[in-house]
Amino acid sequence: MNLKDMNKLDKQFEEMMKGMKIDSPSSDFTLKVMSRIQAEAAVQKHHLLQNYQPVISKRTWIILISIFILLIIYITVSGKEPATGTDSGFWSVISGSLNQLHVKDTSTIWQKGIGLFSSVPTIAYLILGASLALWTLDSYFTHKHQTSEIQVN
Amino acid sequence: MNKTDDIYYIEAVRNGNIQAFSYLVEKYQKLVYTLALKLLKKPEDAEELAQDTFIKAFQKLDTYEGKSKFSTWLYSITYNACISELRKRRIEFKLLDDRLITDQDEQKMNDYYRETKKEDQEKYLTLALEKLPEDDQVLVTLYYYENQSMDEISTITGLSVSNVKIKIHRARKRMYSLLQEMLKEEIYSLL
Repeated sequence: MNLKDMNKLDKQFEEMMKGMKIDSPSSDFTLKVMSRIQAEAAVQKHHLLQNYQPVISKRTWIILISIFILLIIYITVSGKEPATGTDSGFWSVISGSLNQLHVKDTSTIWQKGIGLFSSVPTIAYLILGASLALWTLDSYFTHKHQTSEIQVN
Repeated sequence: MNKTDDIYYIEAVRNGNIQAFSYLVEKYQKLVYTLALKLLKKPEDAEELAQDTFIKAFQKLDTYEGKSKFSTWLYSITYNACISELRKRRIEFKLLDDRLITDQDEQKMNDYYRETKKEDQEKYLTLALEKLPEDDQVLVTLYYYENQSMDEISTITGLSVSNVKIKIHRARKRMYSLLQEMLKEEIYSLL
């Protein structure tokens, strides 16, 4: 058999096969697939959100808090005198205000505690405060983003 | 690139228009389902696998490089999923028997087939196709119905081009042989 015959037989068979009906899936096939795809797309977006990295990572948080605690311990162990009302700093202002109000129940322990915290440099409070502010913003924007994704879907 | 090109819709999906994927589902669902049905036999299994194929295609759309036709890529996902499913079930393909028809008889059979009534043609053709081994049914459908080339079928099935060529040639001869048997019975029943 030469190539021409082969092509002719193939062509004839092709014509035969073209007359054959092919099977069809259920009438709502596209709808089912698209529903699953919409769900799949939603899951993919959710995964992206789950992968969202906050500005301050857990590791950085641990380091920051450790430094802060170590600073408190250092001040306590070094036996530095609690700050007086004349010291500058956030806690000394509070301490001074309490003294001015003549709060009767203010115990020695409380005063010592206030004095201890007033010994912590203001910069440490600023770092901690800024970190907390960032964490709050992180939480707020993540929550807002998640809510808007749910509304879209 | 116009709106009839697959790539137009693929790009739309890639750009975030998920709904554009429904065009591709509409266009290819019949062939994907047919291929799955030929291999898995059960309509409910074929439907589920066809759905899974489209989901997988959607998930992997970014990996489609456009080197082959989208249909070739999609049928390749379908074929591989069916083969995995059959392996799980430990089901093997039927074997093609060696009763093949000569080229001359093949020509005669084709002439006789053309004279048969249209509704009978379809019935016998479907019956003959169903008697082929499952993988041969897929090859015949892809080559003669879907106009996929030997190279494309080789990509879909993972078979070598020469193997695809031999298998298609033998499947065609076997189908003519089966048609001959069925149409002979028809002639005898008429006499």
